[in-house]
Amino acid sequence: MLINSVVLVLREILEAAILVTALMGLARIVGLGLTWFYAAAAASLVGVIGLAAVLGPVTDMLDGTGQEVIGAALQYGVYLLVLLVILDTRQRVCGRRHSRFTGWLMAAAVALAVTREGAEIQLYIGGFMSVVEYRQAVLLGSALGAGIGISAGILFYWTLVTRPRRWAYPLCLFCLCLLATGMIMQGTLLLEQAGWVQAGEPVWNSSGIVSEQSIAGELLYAVFGYEATPGPLLIALYGLGLALSLMASIYAIRSRAGGGDD
Amino acid sequence: MAFVAGVASAQAAPEYTLVIRDHLFDPAELVIPSDTRVKLVVHNQDATPEEFESYELNREKVILGGRKATIYIGPLSPGTYPFFGEFNPRTAQGKVIVE
Repeated sequence: MLINSVVLVLREILEAAILVTALMGLARIVGLGLTWFYAAAAASLVGVIGLAAVLGPVTDMLDGTGQEVIGAALQYGVYLLVLLVILDTRQRVCGRRHSRFTGWLMAAAVALAVTREGAEIQLYIGGFMSVVEYRQAVLLGSALGAGIGISAGILFYWTLVTRPRRWAYPLCLFCLCLLATGMIMQGTLLLEQAGWVQAGEPVWNSSGIVSEQSIAGELLYAVFGYEATPGPLLIALYGLGLALSLMASIYAIRSRAGGGDD
Repeated sequence: MAFVAGVASAQAAPEYTLVIRDHLFDPAELVIPSDTRVKLVVHNQDATPEEFESYELNREKVILGGRKATIYIGPLSPGTYPFFGEFNPRTAQGKVIVE
């Protein structure tokens, strides 16, 4: 149970931690600072507790598929907010790469990303608190998994912010493009699970190269929604999502002082 | 179009029931037809939550204790697709057999 808890919590934490720390890295690179993170933390806490509290009724909605539809909405919401964050870091007349909205957009993206993963962890830990024989192992394993996931996020943050200034901003945007587009992949899988879309027959099977169950597969899933057997719909939406976010990034990178205002 | 087709075929999908009891899936093997989308209703009769998870089926869903949840799977090619309960992976294991 100890190892199970480590793996389960690590998987959930890693996805959110990488995105959150990429946004924190971007905030530092564009000189925004991290005061917005207090709002993000508070909103995340409310989101996690709120979703976990209503997950039962949510699951019963839409003929038993409400959980997927809410989850997909959260994932698509993260993509949209990251896209807006990227656009909002274009350079203004005064040379700034942020507006009064940037921090709020980042906080909202963090809150949506943390809500879904956090609610699952809360249910897992809460569910086993009543089972005395598992309680200690679940708590210890969860703490270890959370620690490893947060450490990976911190490592990612420092990797981004310690790049040479010229490269740090485009690298950060590129990472955010991959991370956000991965949310499109995960959201679409949820809609397929709910019976709302059909992804179609797998176009390829790369599980022989990188299995989704391997550490590399888990990491790739966390970073860009790696899927070993994607159907045509998933590939099309991934391509569209990546193209849109890359175009937004190129626009933001190429903007120069005098090219726009708040 | 994919959306409309998906919703339409989901509404007509044959239904199968899977029960979680004492951290075990019952039945542990579920036989479904190939090239057909099916509606899987998972009833968690334990007091603790469980997460239905399958890498092969690309599915994951938390099911609270004492509750039911719906998961659509397929259309699938003939073969065996393992699934497990992520909260109790040692005991909660099963497979979907597509014929």
